[in-house]
Amino acid sequence: MGPRIGVYVCHCGVNIAATVDVEAVTRFAQGLPSVAIARDYTYMCSDPGQALIKEDIEKFGLTKVVVASCSPMMHEPTFRGTIQEAGLNPYCLEMANIREQCSWVHGEKDKATRKAIQLVAAAVGKAFLLEPLEERRADVTPAALVIGGGIAGMQAALDIAKAGFLVYLVEKEPRLGGHLAQLGKTFPNLESVTPLLSKAIEEVEGHPNIDLLTSAEVVGVEGYIGNFKVKVTDRTTRRELKVGTIVVATGYDLFDAQLKPEYGYGVYEKVITGLEFERLVSSSGPGEGEILVKGKEPQDVVFIQCVGSRDKSVGQEYCSRICCMYTAKQAFLVKEMLPQARVTVLYMDVRAYGKGFEEFYDQVRGEGVIYRRGNPSEIYKKGERLVIRAEDTLLGEPIQLEADLVVLATGITPRRDSLKIANLLKLPRSADGFFMEAHPKLRPVDTVMNGVYLAGCCQGPKDIPDTVAQAKAAAASAMAPLCQGQVKVEAVTSIIDEELCSGCGICAEVCVYDALSLHERKGVMTINEVLCKGCGACAVACPSKAIKLSHFTPTQILAQVDALV
Amino acid sequence: MTMKKFLEVKEADTLATLRSFLKGLLEKEIIEALLVPLEAPSGDTVMPALVKEPARLEKANPLAPVMPVNAARLVSSLTIGKPREKIGALLRSCEIRALIELVKLQQAHLENLMIIGIDCLGTYEVTDYAKLISEDRSPTMELVREAKEGALFPHEGYQFRSACRICEYPMPQDAALTIGLLGVDGEKILIEAQEELAGRLELTEGEATGREEVIRKLVGARIEERDRIFAQFRERVVDMPSLLAQFSTCIRCHNCTVACPICYCKECLFRTSTFEHESDRYLRWAQRKGAIQMPTDTLLFQLTRLNHMVTSCVGCGMCESACPSDIPLTTIFRAVGQEVQAMFDYLPGRSLEDELPLATFKEDELTELGER
Repeated sequence: MGPRIGVYVCHCGVNIAATVDVEAVTRFAQGLPSVAIARDYTYMCSDPGQALIKEDIEKFGLTKVVVASCSPMMHEPTFRGTIQEAGLNPYCLEMANIREQCSWVHGEKDKATRKAIQLVAAAVGKAFLLEPLEERRADVTPAALVIGGGIAGMQAALDIAKAGFLVYLVEKEPRLGGHLAQLGKTFPNLESVTPLLSKAIEEVEGHPNIDLLTSAEVVGVEGYIGNFKVKVTDRTTRRELKVGTIVVATGYDLFDAQLKPEYGYGVYEKVITGLEFERLVSSSGPGEGEILVKGKEPQDVVFIQCVGSRDKSVGQEYCSRICCMYTAKQAFLVKEMLPQARVTVLYMDVRAYGKGFEEFYDQVRGEGVIYRRGNPSEIYKKGERLVIRAEDTLLGEPIQLEADLVVLATGITPRRDSLKIANLLKLPRSADGFFMEAHPKLRPVDTVMNGVYLAGCCQGPKDIPDTVAQAKAAAASAMAPLCQGQVKVEAVTSIIDEELCSGCGICAEVCVYDALSLHERKGVMTINEVLCKGCGACAVACPSKAIKLSHFTPTQILAQVDALV
Repeated sequence: MTMKKFLEVKEADTLATLRSFLKGLLEKEIIEALLVPLEAPSGDTVMPALVKEPARLEKANPLAPVMPVNAARLVSSLTIGKPREKIGALLRSCEIRALIELVKLQQAHLENLMIIGIDCLGTYEVTDYAKLISEDRSPTMELVREAKEGALFPHEGYQFRSACRICEYPMPQDAALTIGLLGVDGEKILIEAQEELAGRLELTEGEATGREEVIRKLVGARIEERDRIFAQFRERVVDMPSLLAQFSTCIRCHNCTVACPICYCKECLFRTSTFEHESDRYLRWAQRKGAIQMPTDTLLFQLTRLNHMVTSCVGCGMCESACPSDIPLTTIFRAVGQEVQAMFDYLPGRSLEDELPLATFKEDELTELGER
């Protein structure tokens, strides 16, 4: 008996149904060979929708299921689960994407319907040839690695350690704390950082489950989720750690203000960055708690925002998220310490989006800090003072301010050595250079590398609470496989035909997961199925067509093509 | 240190001198076997042979201007299983360059291999060479005489293979032992080798002052011809239809894949059942297009081969020599190759250090082809 295919066309409310004649698509599917039943439904992913599929599998003895709905990125796991519950192999599912690739991008109902019909025909063509695949499992080493000993790394390490797992915390510097150790007070509640940080450091250093490696660097990562082998060196020794999961918390660098030469940073001593300001006002700083510039109290202080943020001219398109508020905090501190000083903030927009931020911004203005909209075009020296030329874009007129101190709100950039970590862990980076999460909405701490999670500013700019929250999320994600003791391994992998393979190794070069290696004696390539992510790059690169990708075999794909053309 | 020494030509017989020199390599156990062209029993061609017995070198003829096979392919067979004895391989530049590509593709190994490079004075098609012999002409010695001046003319009424006419590499590179004829007085043969090896060979001192200039001139003339041919090609082939027209006579005999030294798949996909279609399928295609050329898939075959080989193609032209349909494969592969290779700053056969472009991923490469 040949396959019995069920086809389920989803309306997705009006998302699909408004542009595609779903009933026509269903009628068409019903007429295809081997299709036992075709139905349409408002929301296929809803419980009643899924129940429909399960009932039909039972009633019609379906062996393959085609769901015509959204992208498989969205609901493939859902429907794989559905058919598995009804007793089918989860890989006997094929999806036709008639939403993202059809109804959302087309306007004319006739043509969109015709395209949806073709997509369904292609999916049925492939479904006919689908083969059940076996989901495999691998054991997990019950330990985690955290890279980076800033607040993100410390928090993640503590959470995992407290759950009872061994954690290796690797920090490049001799001391823990990262950038946080250089800050004085938090915004918006003006709490002193030092006691918070010392408490965290003490806890990390004292925790029996945390193996702390300072002045150390990760230099090699091999393996896969559950079984990573990590090489770490400090100046003298080299250790190999075995861990099940990895949290990357490598932090950020600050934008180099010298890349905006018009602000004179590095030329004029009285132009400093926000981070230098933190030290200036610190009780352990040069003024021992007083703000002194060249031994004098400044009378005019100007803060400039968005230095290296939202600035395409220096390749920094994004908002650094923390500068508006740290500037507000610093302006407030100046007013508090030097009530007679004139404090001006030059800004583009003030983004006070967080809890208590808007209230704090209001309070700062209430203290007499003047906010003027417009970023300066030039800063130059006039005697002992600095002159800032700008345009007030609200008044539409040029302004000229004098100052004894200019503070640049430099933004957050990816670490300059982030490519090194990216290469070690095979992590993709987004266009802005930060490590990329697996999904911006639904998997914000996962990466495409199973078992590797992101925490803190290495994934994008964030303030302390967001960093801590993400660190706790990453820790929870990293703990899940450790708790399970076993992980599922992708069933879709490449398969090598040893008869055809010449062992040229081109596949190994293109494999970012290091899943392929040469079998010295046989002279053919072999694949580590646990490392293979089923991306198919090797199958494309192989000139001998000696590699095929299960679930995307040439015959399956050609069947789709045949249905399309 | 590389030494430049000389072999005295005895009794004005360059070939005999060279034969006895090669014998010496085996007798002195510098190598334990030698891959070298031997004159075929018919006398009208040469074929490479793996020689163990020095006496068999009486028939060796590495000077014959004919090349039935690019021997890099044979070196691949000899070395892929890692030989336990030291093999010498007497090769032309295009063979050495193809070998370097094969090593990068893990299809050959250099361990226990001694590359003996020889100046190439150009080659005739196998049929032309046989004809010259049957006409009692002496294609080998006439060219050897012309080598000193570097003015290498084919016999009247004949032409060198099209690949040779535009070849910029008459001299070998990356050889442990180089046999030089170009720009060298006919009474001598130039031998270049490392000091230690040179010391074991009976060589004399001397100078070949004109060699560089002779090679420079010869290469210059070839490049001029190459550019002329390429310019013609680029006038003729301006878009996809005109490129495809070049391949229109392909009968998918796959001779080119057999002749190509680098085409290394164990079994070419185009010779598998993947391209044996159902009758229905042929009919469906014919229905849709009105008519389809038979055999089918010839363009796909040619373009796939071009795509696979174009970065590594050393331009030996064996594909064209093997083509029964006279497709100008040398020009196509070399002209397309020139552009693709420039795109990746890659010269096939230049060095083992250069990474194969298709196996190398650079983040900032070809950005103009997609969104950044």
